[in-house]
Amino acid sequence: MAGGPAKFWLVRIGSIALAVAACLLLESFAKGQSSFVQRLMLLAGLYVTLAVSLNLINGITGQFSIGHAAFYQVGAYTSGFLAAQMYAKSGLVGAPWLVVVMLAGALAACLAGLLVGLPSLRLRGDYLAIVTLGFGEIIRIVVQNQQQLGGAYGMNVRPLIQNVAVVWLLAILCIAVCRNLLKTAQGLRFLAVREDEIASSAMGVNVTRIKVTAFVIGSAFAGAAGALLAHFEGFVSPAMFTMDLSFIILTMVVLGGTGSITGSALAAVVLFYLPEKMRDLPNIPMANVIAGLISTVVAVAIVKRAVDTVHDRKARIPRYALAAGASLLTFFALGLILSKAPGVSVAPSIEGAKLRLVVFAITLVVLMLLRPQGVFAHHEFSWSWVNKMLGKKDVPQTEVAA
Amino acid sequence: MSALLQLKDATIRFGGLVAVNAVNFEVEKGDLFGLIGPNGAGKTTCFNLITGVYKPTSGDILFKGSPITGTPSNKICDLGIARTFQNIRLFNALSVLENVVVGGCLRGRASLLSSLAYLPNAIKDTEDLKQKALEILRIMDLEHVANVRSADLAYGMQRRLEIARAMATEPDLLLLDEPAAGMNPQESEDLMRTVRRVRDEYGKTVLLIEHDMRFVMNLCEKIFVLDHGEQIAYGPPSVIRNDPQVIKAYLGEAV
Amino acid sequence: MTLPLHLVAGLEMATLPQQVANGILLGSIYALIALGYTMVYGVLKLINFAHGEVFMLGAYSALFASWWLGYTPNNALSGSSPLNLFLMLGFSMFACSVVGVVIERFAYRPMRSQPRIASLITAIGLSLLLQYGGQLFLPSAPAPNIDSKVNPYQGNVEIPLKPKDGAFVAKAEESAKLATVSKEAFDTYIKTSGRDPFNLDNEGLALRNASQEKEREAKALLDKASDSGLSISLPKGQLIMFFTTLVLMAILRYIVLYTRRGRAMRAVSHDFDSAALMGINVNSIVTFTFILGSALAGAGAMMNATFLSGTKIDTFFGMLPGVKAFVAAVLGGIGNIPGAVLGGLLMGVAETLVVWAGYDAYRDAVAFVILIVVLLFRPGGLLGSAKVEKV
Repeated sequence: MAGGPAKFWLVRIGSIALAVAACLLLESFAKGQSSFVQRLMLLAGLYVTLAVSLNLINGITGQFSIGHAAFYQVGAYTSGFLAAQMYAKSGLVGAPWLVVVMLAGALAACLAGLLVGLPSLRLRGDYLAIVTLGFGEIIRIVVQNQQQLGGAYGMNVRPLIQNVAVVWLLAILCIAVCRNLLKTAQGLRFLAVREDEIASSAMGVNVTRIKVTAFVIGSAFAGAAGALLAHFEGFVSPAMFTMDLSFIILTMVVLGGTGSITGSALAAVVLFYLPEKMRDLPNIPMANVIAGLISTVVAVAIVKRAVDTVHDRKARIPRYALAAGASLLTFFALGLILSKAPGVSVAPSIEGAKLRLVVFAITLVVLMLLRPQGVFAHHEFSWSWVNKMLGKKDVPQTEVAA
Repeated sequence: MSALLQLKDATIRFGGLVAVNAVNFEVEKGDLFGLIGPNGAGKTTCFNLITGVYKPTSGDILFKGSPITGTPSNKICDLGIARTFQNIRLFNALSVLENVVVGGCLRGRASLLSSLAYLPNAIKDTEDLKQKALEILRIMDLEHVANVRSADLAYGMQRRLEIARAMATEPDLLLLDEPAAGMNPQESEDLMRTVRRVRDEYGKTVLLIEHDMRFVMNLCEKIFVLDHGEQIAYGPPSVIRNDPQVIKAYLGEAV
Repeated sequence: MTLPLHLVAGLEMATLPQQVANGILLGSIYALIALGYTMVYGVLKLINFAHGEVFMLGAYSALFASWWLGYTPNNALSGSSPLNLFLMLGFSMFACSVVGVVIERFAYRPMRSQPRIASLITAIGLSLLLQYGGQLFLPSAPAPNIDSKVNPYQGNVEIPLKPKDGAFVAKAEESAKLATVSKEAFDTYIKTSGRDPFNLDNEGLALRNASQEKEREAKALLDKASDSGLSISLPKGQLIMFFTTLVLMAILRYIVLYTRRGRAMRAVSHDFDSAALMGINVNSIVTFTFILGSALAGAGAMMNATFLSGTKIDTFFGMLPGVKAFVAAVLGGIGNIPGAVLGGLLMGVAETLVVWAGYDAYRDAVAFVILIVVLLFRPGGLLGSAKVEKV
């Protein structure tokens, strides 16, 4: 690393300024859009934060947690409670107030993360998964039974603050922290814990501390995101933080490739945006739904066979084409036949919105069957990678030799 | 001056099985110490006792004169004992260099917090650790594969990488669990030289388990023989080679 | 921390035996589902998250079977026979076995060479797929239920635990007789006088009041008499459910312990790879395990939906029982068959006791609390043993 501290701080302040400027630009762009688009941009930022922070726990540290919604909830309720108690007295408005509730939400979620992180010291893999799921449900049920928090009906949160810039700054901060972790020697210990706990411990890594730190940082970001959600929706209720939400966040991490920050962030945007679009879908005839499901099965079967039997990537391309063709053919043929079939043609159409979670579930299963390491696997976005993709074959790996 | 490592009546039971029974030995600073014995003799269990993976049922283990019984593995590593594993346990998804860097983290100076913020000292620390790791890789003759995923290495290289990773923790005592397993004669010859160099040039004390008798007899200056969890012999190679009990343990009763 | 004594004192101890009995009946369903989790975990080391959904499909199968037998919501037959129940049970078990085999073959088998977490994610995905995909095709809004008329065994069985006080009973009987006499007197009066019961003269009023008075007295004495004893009352259907469960478990025990396939199953569960090397057709054993586990879940689902009357079925029907049964399996020691049964019964009792203690809102949370406590303090479960990782 060339250059003295002066250069370092110049670069650091420059990049922070750039991030802030980009977020403000996004904000001013959002202001001109409809409230629906604003909402999408806001939620997308929150989901990026959630997915990247879960990736820190699941992907980078290898602690399979599936109760992330609970931390989100803790943050949301903390900020809601705080707003009801303190907002009028605080004299803060807008973004400064958001920063305060974010910190409070993060702190509360940190404590919850500590609570969940402690049992994780003794548990691995699927057992840990089920315990984190259990903790998530317990937190939800306990909140649901607190009358001062609105019980099952939830509570209103005032003031309403819709600030795209703060949301995306949080997302960028979360990404930056995770990236720093992967870039520094000390951060490599998180990966080491994922790879082999016993060897890590024998190499002097305090496995307990690393795991708890991962849980605490991951849940703090989820909590901060929750605080923003509460002030943006103006309302929080236990129904917003069910197991389904945890599974959605998990799907994002898994789709992106466990361990890949780039993957988690991109998957969060895509997996959030597509189903939102599906809310607008017109009602779909039952025949098309059935045909769609069956043609998916056909495509997956062909691709799965190609992946299993053909090892040369290029040689698989014709099979992919075959899969696409066969599934399209199946879709149209079956659609046509079924729409005339006596039982199906009278069946009620299905609202597009109802298909949202079905699509999530199918994505999860298909992904596991075809590419269990996720779209990005362990890879991260980098310029040398872009160059490689663009065909410049020999990228010198000077990083180490330097 | 007391010994670097002392086992005093170290005993561990798993249910009814006494895996290691009242074992006593002392490793002096600068030793090349061999721990041998037939399969299931309790050698790896001894390593696990020393490195805190298991806690002895009774008895004491002293390192540099102070007891380390019941100390967690990572603390023991911090005190200066590093090990390799019989069934290789590398960080598979990490590169060769990164594996060694993780080993070096223990002696790194940057805090986790400054690493998260990517502050100058974290960057410098990372650079230093990488340089140090490269140096160790050079000793272990792995420099040319520094950027290869460790899972993709050949078997012999993986064994050497395990040693490199352990070296990176700057130990006083290096425990090697079957370092030459699965190596061809040439490779094990090279390894022997490397281990000797580690002792002579870098001043490490080495305690190793090995089945390859040629390797042990040529390399080690003191040998301790275990069978069924108990000491059956101790001495220099020349003595061990002719010890009737050792021959019996390895070859069985003369017919 | 002080014990909340006012809570303990506030509990109705007299209803405790009844609650425990209810808990055991509920627990027998959990035990049936838990067996599926435990067997699959034993063989594949996989938490079959979709098992709860197999249970849900079992309930739907039983529902459809009842419709085909003529017990539709609009036009239900009035009588029924044990044969109907038997057909529903058989169909539900069969349908679940098919679903289990399909899931194993097409979702889990391709994942076997992948890390365990990948299988777990597949299982979660399948579970979501069946829940939300099922909503598209299965009737769920409004949630249907199996018509209670399909169950020929209506009514309760009283099981006395402590006999009633003889003196009270005699008094109550005496009083009941008196009540009957005065009721008859009133009835005869109405008949003979031909008066409208709502427009009585003084004599009629006096007779009516006397009759009502006696009746009240008799009822009070009867209550007193029954309070003096202790008995539990169980619906006949649920008793049948319990005994069917016992029979199924006995059959399972026989299969696992005394048949060739059972022995192969235990071998696979002990060491998957070695079993394959010893010439066991591992795939067929895994399939067999899924058939057994899913059939038991199907049986549990059919009985749950039929005998716990008014049970509404929707596509999330299997979620909570599934989670609770999984906890039961972990509690008993996952991979351990008697453990699953014990765990199931304990879970059922724990749940009813939490409700009984007045914490109705936490009846679902208790499962998770038990799970976390078990995993922290006895990760191997009650009957299992924790495995130590070899270094």
